[in-house]
Amino acid sequence: MHIPDGFISAPVAVTGCVVAAGCVAYAVKATNKKMGEKQVPLMGVLAAFIFAAQMLNFPIAGGTSGHLIGAALAAILLGPWAGMLIMTCVLVVQCLVFQDGGLLALGANIVNMGIIATFISYYVYRGGAFLSGGQKKRILVSGGLAAWLSVVVAAVACVFELVISGTVPLGVALPAMGGIHALIGIAEGAITAGVLSLIMATRADLLSLAK
Amino acid sequence: MKHSFLDQYSDRDSPIHRLDPRTKLVASLAFILIVVLIPIVNWQAFVIYLSLIVALLIISKLPPLYVLKRSLVIFPFVLMIAIFIPFFKSGEIAGSYNIWLWRVSISYDGLLILANVVSKAWLCILSLILLSSTTKFTELLKGLKRLGMPRMIVLILSFMYRYIFVLVDEVMRMRQARDSRNFGGARLRQLKTIGNMIGTLFIRSYERGERIYAAMLARGFDGEVRSLQRLNFKKADACFGIAFGLALASPAILLLF
Repeated sequence: MHIPDGFISAPVAVTGCVVAAGCVAYAVKATNKKMGEKQVPLMGVLAAFIFAAQMLNFPIAGGTSGHLIGAALAAILLGPWAGMLIMTCVLVVQCLVFQDGGLLALGANIVNMGIIATFISYYVYRGGAFLSGGQKKRILVSGGLAAWLSVVVAAVACVFELVISGTVPLGVALPAMGGIHALIGIAEGAITAGVLSLIMATRADLLSLAK
Repeated sequence: MKHSFLDQYSDRDSPIHRLDPRTKLVASLAFILIVVLIPIVNWQAFVIYLSLIVALLIISKLPPLYVLKRSLVIFPFVLMIAIFIPFFKSGEIAGSYNIWLWRVSISYDGLLILANVVSKAWLCILSLILLSSTTKFTELLKGLKRLGMPRMIVLILSFMYRYIFVLVDEVMRMRQARDSRNFGGARLRQLKTIGNMIGTLFIRSYERGERIYAAMLARGFDGEVRSLQRLNFKKADACFGIAFGLALASPAILLLF
């Protein structure tokens, strides 16, 4: 889902950069207020954590494999602003070190996977946890659902950017990409729920970090 | 540590490696922006830009096979676009084929979009490979900071970069432990195992972050990280900048005459 340069037109890419820069600047302020000078080491290590977690591949189908994106996990565990900051750092490193995603397209990638995905998943999870009445199973289901949705929504946002750039036709690309990511998202949801379940069992106090 | 795949080749020496990171960052961004803006019908410009990038890759002494392999990162995206090409209905038909039950027709418009995207994406990825394989990540961060990236993000990124190596090691150890215990079975079970591994990794990372912060406090951390190294913009940077700018503008100049 990391859009390379050249796939989206210059106006779309520049708009993405401007939106991403604005949101990230606010996210820096919001997390700084919450954790002060602890922000730097903690956010740095947790961004490295998401990066490392993405190295655990799992088989999908026909010999291909996928990995966790982690936007939902970061948002659920640490809140939407901190999650956004972490995902931004992960995407910057993926772009500058691995050429995964373009330099000019970095803004659009941050918007898809760092902003839209974290916010949607955070509020879906919060809403689900609120309605769960404190039942563990229901909280886990809402976490999984939030992670699944984060993948689908990020893919849909990516399709719209490509459509506006005139690279793919909307009518076919939207159901195709949406459908494929609805399947990929199941793994993301299952893993996220698994992570939450383990943290609940061992360090439940860490789950209240997001508040 | 078994992660030589991070930051490969950036500590070699060549005229390109020695340039100021700011010069390289601005040049790459200008190159990508111009490549994205130029319509594909001006194919001469693309030939000039390709030779420019190839010349710089040769000067930087990067192994060609490594660069080619790296540039395949865009392949999944190219494939995805290629699949959607037959669905662009407008324009003259270049050819139509019967694939089993479907009748697939491909228009020139669709092919043009594919050519446009693939050539642009490939040029851009080559320039990005050139940038990141000739500049150390810490240097890049310094350049980004001087070019106006928020200080906080740069600090977080520099911490992230330090701990990527530690945590990637940790993941590799965990994976080895998992594989030596007969990992496999039903798909859901595998996902559950991965979930547990990532959960454990999160707790370990979080606790590590807290330990690091405590250690930093003990050493007098006050929210500011001071560095002795300074960037310096040399004469070589100015020369490179002018030459690169001229090369970027050359298609426009050629078109005028």
